[in-house]
Amino acid sequence: MAEALRAVRAAARLELEQLGRSRVLVTLVVLEAITFLVLVSLFGLTGSRAPTALIDRDDGPLARSFVDHLDAAHHSFALRPMSADRASEQISSGDILAIITIPSDFGRRVAGAGTSVVPITVDNVNEDLTGDVREAMPSAVTAFAADNNFPGVRVVAVEHDLIDHETGYVAYLVVSALALTAFVVSGILGAVSITREFETRTVTQLRLAPVPAGWLVVGKLLAASCVSAIAVGIAALIVVAGYGVHPDHALGALAVLAICVVIFTSLGACVGALLRRTLPVSALFFGLALPFYVDSGALEPLRFDGEKLWVTGHASPVYSAIGVLQWGFHGLRVTPESVLQNVLVLCLWALASVLVAAAVLSRRVVRQ
Amino acid sequence: MQPQTLIEVQEVTQRFRARVALDRFSISIDEGTVVGVLGPNGAGKTTLIEVVAGLSRPVSGAVRWRGELVTSPFPRDVRRRIGVMTQHVALYDELTVRQNLRFAAQLFGVEHRDNRIAEVLELIGLSLRAKDRAGSLSGGMRRRLALGRALLHNPELLILDEPTLGVDVEARHALWGHVRWLRGTGKTVLLSTNHLDEAEALCDRIVVLRDGRRVTEGDPAELLARTGHWVEIDCLAGSVPDVRERIVGLPGIGRIDVTEVGLTVHVAHGDSPDAVTIAALDSGLVQSVRVRPPDLLEVFQSLTEEADG
Repeated sequence: MAEALRAVRAAARLELEQLGRSRVLVTLVVLEAITFLVLVSLFGLTGSRAPTALIDRDDGPLARSFVDHLDAAHHSFALRPMSADRASEQISSGDILAIITIPSDFGRRVAGAGTSVVPITVDNVNEDLTGDVREAMPSAVTAFAADNNFPGVRVVAVEHDLIDHETGYVAYLVVSALALTAFVVSGILGAVSITREFETRTVTQLRLAPVPAGWLVVGKLLAASCVSAIAVGIAALIVVAGYGVHPDHALGALAVLAICVVIFTSLGACVGALLRRTLPVSALFFGLALPFYVDSGALEPLRFDGEKLWVTGHASPVYSAIGVLQWGFHGLRVTPESVLQNVLVLCLWALASVLVAAAVLSRRVVRQ
Repeated sequence: MQPQTLIEVQEVTQRFRARVALDRFSISIDEGTVVGVLGPNGAGKTTLIEVVAGLSRPVSGAVRWRGELVTSPFPRDVRRRIGVMTQHVALYDELTVRQNLRFAAQLFGVEHRDNRIAEVLELIGLSLRAKDRAGSLSGGMRRRLALGRALLHNPELLILDEPTLGVDVEARHALWGHVRWLRGTGKTVLLSTNHLDEAEALCDRIVVLRDGRRVTEGDPAELLARTGHWVEIDCLAGSVPDVRERIVGLPGIGRIDVTEVGLTVHVAHGDSPDAVTIAALDSGLVQSVRVRPPDLLEVFQSLTEEADG
């Protein structure tokens, strides 16, 4: 046992010293963790602020009221009042998505119970954005009519919220991003701790040593996990301090992140032992990151995206991790499975990952 | 006193898919000797080294350590007694020279670690570079560091796989100096090389290997003597056929390679090259005559022809 401990300690120290000397690698890995947060924030912001020109030829009180309702109707609009010439120029150059023109007789016609045509020009470059504009107009018209007591329109919405607080979209996204951060950071560091031994051929030295080579691998992976945990912890701190998301269940969230680090470090080590080269390993983890992110309920609860995506999402532990993290930070339940079930699934993933890693590493690293 | 056999490889065969890297190969290494395994690239030297170091398990045959049968991976007690300098130096480039040695010392449970590291650094002449990163060292220094790492735990058997591969002449001679020093201390060394002069300079016994098989074995002087001499004759313009006429038929003449400007004549072992030299000079048709030992390729050709009868 003393020999095993000596091996673990020596290998852990070696890995930390190597990482300490590979400052660029560690810095980039920590930056990746933060980059994910920035990436998803930008995604959230751009998706909700489609620039739309507003040409108000009337400028009367009813026209202004209509504009207010347009602004409130759908969060996808970012209305920008401007002249017709400028709007035409900007839609041609791709600076704006749509032009809404309020005609000069808008107030008169509406007040007289007549019909006013509000022309909309849309750059239908993609259906998602075009759909947002299409959906926003009728709701704005309905709300405008109801507020101004125009005859024939009566809409009353009664909303019963399931959750006692609102969760901002960006706040939702950055919490999901923590699971992805753990995936990328731990996966790469776990893999690199093994690929480096093959690339420098020092794996032979591990095999020649009169200590169980398996313990040396354990020591290296423990050190890699610690560094990953620090990087993920920094990202979590930024979520709390930078984005102002205060966790409802901090310990639960931290525990899940720790489990994620174990899972992804183990899987990373497996991939590292199989590929034996750092470059393809990094490409693989970055390549998998976005599909995992999108198909794990990171953008919204995956159950809302259809049966097929929901079933596919279960193929990665990121799905369960996001389920527990959204509960940990926002108190949300975003999966049909309970938090406890998700935690159990993650524990099973961790156990399976460690066992698979032990089998693969034993075959590819410890033996020839 | 009869020297004890430290490690013995018996009838070992090693295959990599269809390729036979070692074919029923045997070798025994006595305590206190330096044994060289000489062979061209692809002869099976590194495979043999891996079998002896316990890194590779042969498909058949046996390896015995002090008479005890051992299989790869060797028992820890045996691994502790072997030091290996692999062909690729396999250092942690990001770490310092001292950190590389410290990691090895930890793995091998070296006592009084710091003192021993200082001793080894002194021995390999890297004390002043102890704080430098291994990656910043020259090729020769990296080889010396790898040698130091292999020596750190004071092994009974030191295995060096092509220790001077890819280093300059100065570094090569420095490494030779270290191996000679080890030889002087009675250390048992197994060394693979494809340099004849290296094997000659360092080894008590040379085993010549080709295509995974033993070609021959003996002490360096004996092997060189068995391969004879080569006489290179530079002739005057147009006189090569005449000089050849005078040499053909002299005793011990083997092959004669003819070029436009001269001849290269093989004189079999046991026969003196003097007769060829005198005949060439007496002809008055030569510019120069040079007698030289065979190069590695010629040794292989010669010994292989001898082995093939």
